[in-house]
Amino acid sequence: MASEKNKEKNIDFRDSRYYMNRELSWMKFNERVLWEARDKNQLLFERIKMLSITASNLDEFFMVRVASLKDMVNADYKKVDIAGMTATEQLSALSRVTHEFVESQYSTYNRSLIPLLKQNGITIVTHHEELSENQRKFCDRFFEEEVYPVLTPMAVDSSRPFPLVRNKSLNIAALVSAKKTEDGNKPDTDFAMVQVPNVLSRLVEIPGDDGNKNFILLEEIIERNMDKLFLNYDIVCSHPFRVMRNADLTIDEDEAEDLLKEIERQLKRRQWGEVIRLEVEDTMDLRLLEIIRSEVGVGEDDIYHINGPLDLTFLMKMTGIEGFDRLRAPKWVPQKPKYMNEEDDIFSQIRDHDILLSHPYESFEPVTDFIRSAARDKDVLAIKMTLYRVSGNSPIIAALAQAAENGKQVSVLVELKARFDEEHNITWAKTLEKAGCHVIYGLVGLKTHSKIALVVRREEEGIRRYVHLATGNYNDSTAKQYTDMGLLTCSVPVGEDATAVFNMLSGYSEPISWNKLILAPLWLKDRFIYLIDREAENARNGREAHIIAKMNSVSDPDIIEALYRASAAGVRIELIVRGICCLKVGIPGVSENISVRSIVGYFLEHSRIFYFLNEGREEFYMGSADWMPRNLDRRVEICFPVEKPELMEDLRHFLQTELDDNIKASELQPDGSYIRPSKHGRAKINSQKQFAVEAEENAKLRKELVPDRVFVPETKYDDEKSSDI
Amino acid sequence: MGIKTFAAIDVGSYEVSMKIFELSKKNGVHEIDYIRHRIDLGTETYNTGHISYERMDELCELLNGYTQIMETYRVDDYKAYGTSAIRETVNTKVVTDQIKLRTGLNVSVLSNSEQRFLDYKSIALKSKYFSNIIDCGTAIIDIGGGSTQVSLFADSKLVCTVNLPLGILKLRSKLNVLQPGHLEYEEILSELIDNEIHNFRKIYLSQINIRNIIVVDDYLSQIALNVAKAKDTVYVTGTEFLELVETLRKMPQEEAAKKFGIQRENAALLMPSAVLVRNFIRVTAAEKLWIPGVSLADGIAYDYAERNKIIVSNHDFTRDIISCANNISARYKGSQSVGEELVAGALAIFDAMKKLHGLNKRERLLLELAARLHDVGCYVSLSAPAESSYSIIMGTEISGISHLERLIIATVVYNAYPKEVNYDDFNETEFNEKVFLTVTKLTAILRVASGMARSPRKKYRSVKAQLREKELVLTVESDSSLTLEKGFFLEQSLLFEEVFGIRPVLREKKGVRF
Repeated sequence: MASEKNKEKNIDFRDSRYYMNRELSWMKFNERVLWEARDKNQLLFERIKMLSITASNLDEFFMVRVASLKDMVNADYKKVDIAGMTATEQLSALSRVTHEFVESQYSTYNRSLIPLLKQNGITIVTHHEELSENQRKFCDRFFEEEVYPVLTPMAVDSSRPFPLVRNKSLNIAALVSAKKTEDGNKPDTDFAMVQVPNVLSRLVEIPGDDGNKNFILLEEIIERNMDKLFLNYDIVCSHPFRVMRNADLTIDEDEAEDLLKEIERQLKRRQWGEVIRLEVEDTMDLRLLEIIRSEVGVGEDDIYHINGPLDLTFLMKMTGIEGFDRLRAPKWVPQKPKYMNEEDDIFSQIRDHDILLSHPYESFEPVTDFIRSAARDKDVLAIKMTLYRVSGNSPIIAALAQAAENGKQVSVLVELKARFDEEHNITWAKTLEKAGCHVIYGLVGLKTHSKIALVVRREEEGIRRYVHLATGNYNDSTAKQYTDMGLLTCSVPVGEDATAVFNMLSGYSEPISWNKLILAPLWLKDRFIYLIDREAENARNGREAHIIAKMNSVSDPDIIEALYRASAAGVRIELIVRGICCLKVGIPGVSENISVRSIVGYFLEHSRIFYFLNEGREEFYMGSADWMPRNLDRRVEICFPVEKPELMEDLRHFLQTELDDNIKASELQPDGSYIRPSKHGRAKINSQKQFAVEAEENAKLRKELVPDRVFVPETKYDDEKSSDI
Repeated sequence: MGIKTFAAIDVGSYEVSMKIFELSKKNGVHEIDYIRHRIDLGTETYNTGHISYERMDELCELLNGYTQIMETYRVDDYKAYGTSAIRETVNTKVVTDQIKLRTGLNVSVLSNSEQRFLDYKSIALKSKYFSNIIDCGTAIIDIGGGSTQVSLFADSKLVCTVNLPLGILKLRSKLNVLQPGHLEYEEILSELIDNEIHNFRKIYLSQINIRNIIVVDDYLSQIALNVAKAKDTVYVTGTEFLELVETLRKMPQEEAAKKFGIQRENAALLMPSAVLVRNFIRVTAAEKLWIPGVSLADGIAYDYAERNKIIVSNHDFTRDIISCANNISARYKGSQSVGEELVAGALAIFDAMKKLHGLNKRERLLLELAARLHDVGCYVSLSAPAESSYSIIMGTEISGISHLERLIIATVVYNAYPKEVNYDDFNETEFNEKVFLTVTKLTAILRVASGMARSPRKKYRSVKAQLREKELVLTVESDSSLTLEKGFFLEQSLLFEEVFGIRPVLREKKGVRF
């Protein structure tokens, strides 16, 4: 025992060798997404969707993460990261990995997906040169009628400077030379470009001769017709290119008098940040490439020569093509929640028992209904909630506005700083303000990431508070794609805490103490470390100790250190981490007892659930925070315990099923790679599929228990209907 | 519904807080929301006597926020009280008027004794253990920004309540002037505090063995409470507390804030409270420290609920006030027996005259206090007892009695002494017409009562008062002759006749002589 302790003491758990760089770890995640695109067992459109996701993921990654590394290099920032790497080192490592990754993306596209599509009745004409006569005619006509009117061709010469190239826009660059003058002198070549308009669909359906549906990309049509844009020139060559700019918003809140205006201003500026990536067609003329390269100012490392169409995100559109249902997974219909019925109003159901919601297996409707009912209920005094990312046309926003119009006190904290959603959020914030809601635009210096809604209701026995706490945003459309958990409760201690949260968010002092909720940035990290250390202490005292934690990312050094300490003490630690994981497994004396698995599936894994054995008095927590410094130190986050035995049982089952997953899961290896778990001798378990089946069963069970008690008036006799049972 | 929603607002010297309560016969006083906001009104007031324009803006904005929250809960009623930071402004009335105009809130200003009495009420009503605690000698230390109140209990009775100039904001200001180093800080603080405690100890602590201390404050009790909670009790022992202070003393403020989970700004106010309580423990050797975790807002709510008969308290707060008056009287060697007789007489007259004087229970209490304190001035001067009594009463805090009420008592006592009636003496600048009449009426009653009870050697078995048409017949059952009293009686009844149009008549009923 004593020697064990010594061993623990002698190890520096903060040694950078024990940590993985977060950007590289993220790239690993995107690779896992790409696996899904390469998985032959998947339906074709699902594979295409995944490939599209890898592309949009990578775009965001560049705009935010790579951009900030570039900023560090520019600012000559010398500090090393958790894994001991400088920004320059990270960039060069990333460049290598990213280039490989992009190759792999396009080989998937070219070698697997295009041929498969063709087999399945969809032909993509990759180059306009391959068009048939018939198709050519169609394309040229389409160009003249639809495309030409919205194009703005730009030529560069001594009197016209190089145009600004918009962030993420697709452009066609060309070398042009003025038509031969009469004196026969061969003129110099000039640069010209045109932006591929984003008002038109990039995927253009064209007539086909092979019995397939035929498509060509818009840029191919434009390229073919470049000469019509620059009439006085000869087109020497033309190729598409695309730039990515530094887009991370840095807002100086002290100087930003009005946050709203500042963000609007920044959004405009985002178009013109420093170029951090240049994508060009791999066959691009070198003279042309050199002009673009020097004008936008990128180094060789940041140029990506692409063998295929730039910007694969158009593929997402393709999966929406009508017909071809056999190529896509059937649309999942979220089921009626296990803990709810349709007879009683939502408040009486919450009074009766806590309700655990598991989205998207279970419908998000109860949450919308919760706010909607509150808006209409005459006894409701106030509705307070935080909004981080809301969907377009959000029913929650509509309900909140209605509530304000019905005379309820509605306070909404709209987080304007939600990345890439700022524009969106500003619109909603204004709508709500107009309706008479009290809108708070976040806290200075902190992002409000917590998901909490509070309904204050005046009842017979006095004020009663109903609270919804969740791991995901109040967004009814992402709730169909993200796996998240929610809890509806009217427990008094939670209600008191919820009130205190909103008091705090409104700028009043924090409460003297909290009953149940644990908040970041002030208390959450300490609590997690306490909970981990407690397990470690139990292990040291020879008791069984076990931690299971599921979340999106693990990168907080303090937490990882605590986990290493716990592992060294003998705690069994099972992590289910979808994305970034800076923790390394299998380091002797450090992390031998830690396993990490990642699940990338049909739905985006998003819930955060934490389990601690605590000498048998098990504790389950859920919340909005990942184990990342940004969540624990710079955001307002809420974690909450789940204490009702039947709900704890549900969570235990949920975690265990994910730990048993051997189809969509992959396990982190000591060398940093991920591999699929062995299925040898084990039943195949796809956790997401299993949860879906269970949700259907629960809904069916409920139906059998409580038949729909609705009388449908028969207005006309329908022959079909009578047999339709 | 039977539930009243009530808001209690405390405009304190370093924090403005509001609690929302549900008051009902069934559940008593039930807190449903607690909103606090730091705003340092005190430092400005204590230094300049004014609240600056900017600070006033901030305060009104804050209070407007509170009124919105009150609307959310649709509160049925509210009480908003200002304490020393408002009270000690030179233009208090202007300040409260400003608040009224800009927020619509009526903020009343509590005198120190009222404020402390409300704190005391909340302790007595909220804490399950209170009645057990005060069985032994107990001190309530109520720490405020401007001053600290110490109330002593013995045998379940309030002995005295004393205001010490040891407010934490004031202490901090004093120290900031000296700019001591970190270690020196605590020493100087301790010395400042000890200077004040020294006199207090000499005068008040000699006869009482203090075993319990109850602490009321905003930050220290929070920490102490955590210590208590950790061992599943509701108190910490004296030794434990001394250890806690020792840990605190060695810690930089940032660290203390982090360790004890309090806000950084509040950590600066922690040390003055901690040293104050520690030094009290040292001089009293108290064994246990109780932390009821109450605030003025609780007191406001309990007081409101009690006055509106929503809750019935099993603790008799009037008894505390009377006990406090008795102790004051005893301190100045007032005559207990004359006092009792005077009280009996005065109250008998008061009750008999109910229909005519139109005064209420509270004014009856003031009369009783005046009767109990009537001769405290003799301790200072036998030749000018009226003036001395007036000064002593005005200089002494009586628990639960507002400043105005104290002035009424003192004026009544002053005028009850036999002398020619001069109505100017009944008036003080702070009296309005109604108060003036109250004073006059109470004086008239007390004069008659004191006319009946002149000699400390005499013992009345009973005093009866009966209103018969134009006469108030006072029947005294006594063993001794009342010749002397009868002689004085006429002179002492003149005012009474004038005020009520009723003539008091003194009748003797001879009892059995031994």
